[in-house]
Amino acid sequence: MHTDARTLENDTVLDGDLCIVGAGAAGITIAREFANTPVKVILLEGGGFEFEQQMQDLYRGEIVGQPYFPLQAAALHYFGGTTNHWAGFCSTYDDIDFEKRDWVPHSGWPIRRADLDPFYARAQPILDLGPYKYDAADWKMGDAARVPLIADSRSFSTKMWQFSPPTRFGTKYRNDIVNSPNIHLYTHATVVEVEANDGLSAVQSVRVRGFDRKELRARAKRFVLACHTIQNARLLLASNARARTGLGNGNDLVGRYFMEHFEMPSGELALANPETTKTKLYALEGLGGPPRGELAITAAAQREHRVLHGTASVEAGNYGDPVKSTFQFIDTVMMNAQRAWRNGGMKGPPPMAAASAATAPRDATPRFYHLTTRQEQAPNPDSRVTLGDEKDALGVPRAKLDWRLTDLDKRSMRTFYELLGREMGRTGTGRVQLREWLLSDDKTWPSFISGGWHHMGTTRMSDDPKQGVVDANCRVHGLSNLYIGGAAVYPTAGAVNPTLTLVAISLRLADHLKDRGL
Amino acid sequence: MDLNRRRFLQVAAVGVIAGIASARYRRLTSHDGPVDRPELLLMLGPDRVRELGTHYRSVTPAENNADALREALADGQARPFFGRKPIADMVRDDFADGRTVVVDGWVLSVTEARQAALFSVRTSPL
Repeated sequence: MHTDARTLENDTVLDGDLCIVGAGAAGITIAREFANTPVKVILLEGGGFEFEQQMQDLYRGEIVGQPYFPLQAAALHYFGGTTNHWAGFCSTYDDIDFEKRDWVPHSGWPIRRADLDPFYARAQPILDLGPYKYDAADWKMGDAARVPLIADSRSFSTKMWQFSPPTRFGTKYRNDIVNSPNIHLYTHATVVEVEANDGLSAVQSVRVRGFDRKELRARAKRFVLACHTIQNARLLLASNARARTGLGNGNDLVGRYFMEHFEMPSGELALANPETTKTKLYALEGLGGPPRGELAITAAAQREHRVLHGTASVEAGNYGDPVKSTFQFIDTVMMNAQRAWRNGGMKGPPPMAAASAATAPRDATPRFYHLTTRQEQAPNPDSRVTLGDEKDALGVPRAKLDWRLTDLDKRSMRTFYELLGREMGRTGTGRVQLREWLLSDDKTWPSFISGGWHHMGTTRMSDDPKQGVVDANCRVHGLSNLYIGGAAVYPTAGAVNPTLTLVAISLRLADHLKDRGL
Repeated sequence: MDLNRRRFLQVAAVGVIAGIASARYRRLTSHDGPVDRPELLLMLGPDRVRELGTHYRSVTPAENNADALREALADGQARPFFGRKPIADMVRDDFADGRTVVVDGWVLSVTEARQAALFSVRTSPL
C-alpha cells in the first residue's frame, strides 16, 4: 500500500508493528523481508518517487575539517535512496575487517565475517549479482587471460568485485512494497523527531512533519532508523526533547567515528612486458559488466606492517595524463549532466562514460596503468557529525560534518604502494611509482582528497555501550525497541564499498526482528 | 711435505683475495648486459631513466660519480668462488629483501637505481 503523507490530516496517528524510517537499500531490504506476513509494517520515506530539489535540500549541511563533497549531493532523499545513483560496486569484507587489530585504535566488530556469510549469500540476488563467489579463480570465465597479476605473494592478493547493474531499489522493488498488503509506504513523510518514553528506555513514536507544517505520528512495537549514516545521527541528536544530548547518546558516541573510503589516484604501474602480461582480470568493462579484480594488501602484510586494509584498481592509461579523484571526476557538474542525460531519454553515451573515454590509453598494448587507492579510514572519534546552528525547512538543525583523518590513514597508503613496488619488482612484473602527494609527511593531504561517498560509522556497533551506540543486533543500547539500519553501524569501514555488506546486515537485522516476535 | 702444504695454502689464499679484488674493481660489462643499461630503460625510456639517475645522484652524494657507482655495483656483484652475480638477480634479490629506494616516487631496487645513476653519468651532456 502507498499513501502520500501530504494527503493525510494533521495529527494523524499511524499504528503498526514495525516502523522503518527511510526507504533506501536498508529500509527496503528490511521491509521486503516482512512482505506478505502478518506483521504490519510502516515504511516512512521523506521523499517521493522522484528527485525533488526541496526534499534534497533537507540534506544540505555544513562542512568543517577536511573538505568534503556537498552533503546534499552525496546521498539521495527519495524512494530508493542513494541506490538511485550508485555505481553498483560490490564485494565482501574480509575476516580481518571484523577483527580487533591492536594497531588500529577502536577496531573490532562484535560479529565475525562468518556470521555474515549466509546473509551475504542472500544479498547477492537482491543486488542482481552472480553467485556468492569472490575468489579470482572463480571468475576466469573460460578466459586464460583473466588471471592475477601477482601470484604466490605474501603481501598482495586479488580482491574480486561483482557489479550490480546497478540495482535501483526504488524502481525494482517499488511494486513489492506497494503491492504488499501488510506494508504501508508513506512518501513525503520526513521524520523530524524520535520520541522516547519518560524513562528513556523505549521509543513510543516518531514525529513526521511536512513542508506545510502538518504533523503526524507513527507508533509501533519496534523502530528501525535507516535514513542514511549522517541523517540517522542527525535525527538522534535532534531528538533531544527528553534526552538532552540526543537519543541513544548517553555516552557521547552518536555522530562520532564518521568514516569514508579513500578513493585517490595514488600511483602508476609500468609493466616490464606489456605484450605478455595479462591484465584483463582488472579491466572495468562498464558498469554492470563482468567481475573484476583489484590488488589488495593481504591480512598477513597488514599485520606485519601495521597498516589499514586497502586495494588498488589497475586501469590502463597514459603516463603523465592527469588522473582525477572520485570527487573531482564526479563533481556536481557531472552529476547534473548525468541526471539530465537520464531524464532526457538516455540519448548518446552517458557523460561519465564519455569523460572516461577521453582518457583511454593511446597504445593498443598499454605499458602504463593508473593505480587508484580504495582504503578504509581508521576509526576516529573526532571525525564526527554534530548539529549545526542553521535549521532546515522543517525546523531540524542541519548536520555539521567534521571529517578528520589520522596519520595511520596516509602511512597505510604509502606503505601499500612501497610494498606493491617491491612485489612488482620481485616478480619482474614491472615498477610502481607513488604519486607526489603520497611522498610528503603523514599529516598533509592534497586538495583533491576524495572518498567514495561511502558514509559509515556515527552509530557504531559494539557490545559495550561505552564503545558503541548499537549492539551486535543493531539495537540502540539502552532503548529496547530502537534499531539502526545501514552502514552507520559499521565499527570499521573495510576496504571495499559498503552496499553488499549493508544489505547483508539488513537481512540479519530483519531475521533478528522476526526472532524477537515480529 | 708440511712446507709444501703451507706454501700451497699461502698461494691459494693470495689467489682468492686477488680474485675478489679483481671481481670488485674490474670494469663491469657483465654477461647479462652492461650494468649501466638497466632493465628499467625498457620500461621507462632513456630520458626518464636519466632523470631518475640524476635524481639518485643528487640525494646520494657519496655515489655521485662513475667510479663510486661502479664500485658500489661491483660490491653487490662480488661473489667469491662463484663468479659475479648477474645484475638481473641482484635486482630481483633487492626487491625480495626490501633493498629498495624511492626515487622521484618510483620504487627501485638499489642496484637499478645505481645503474640509472651510472647511465645518467655516461649519457648526460657535459
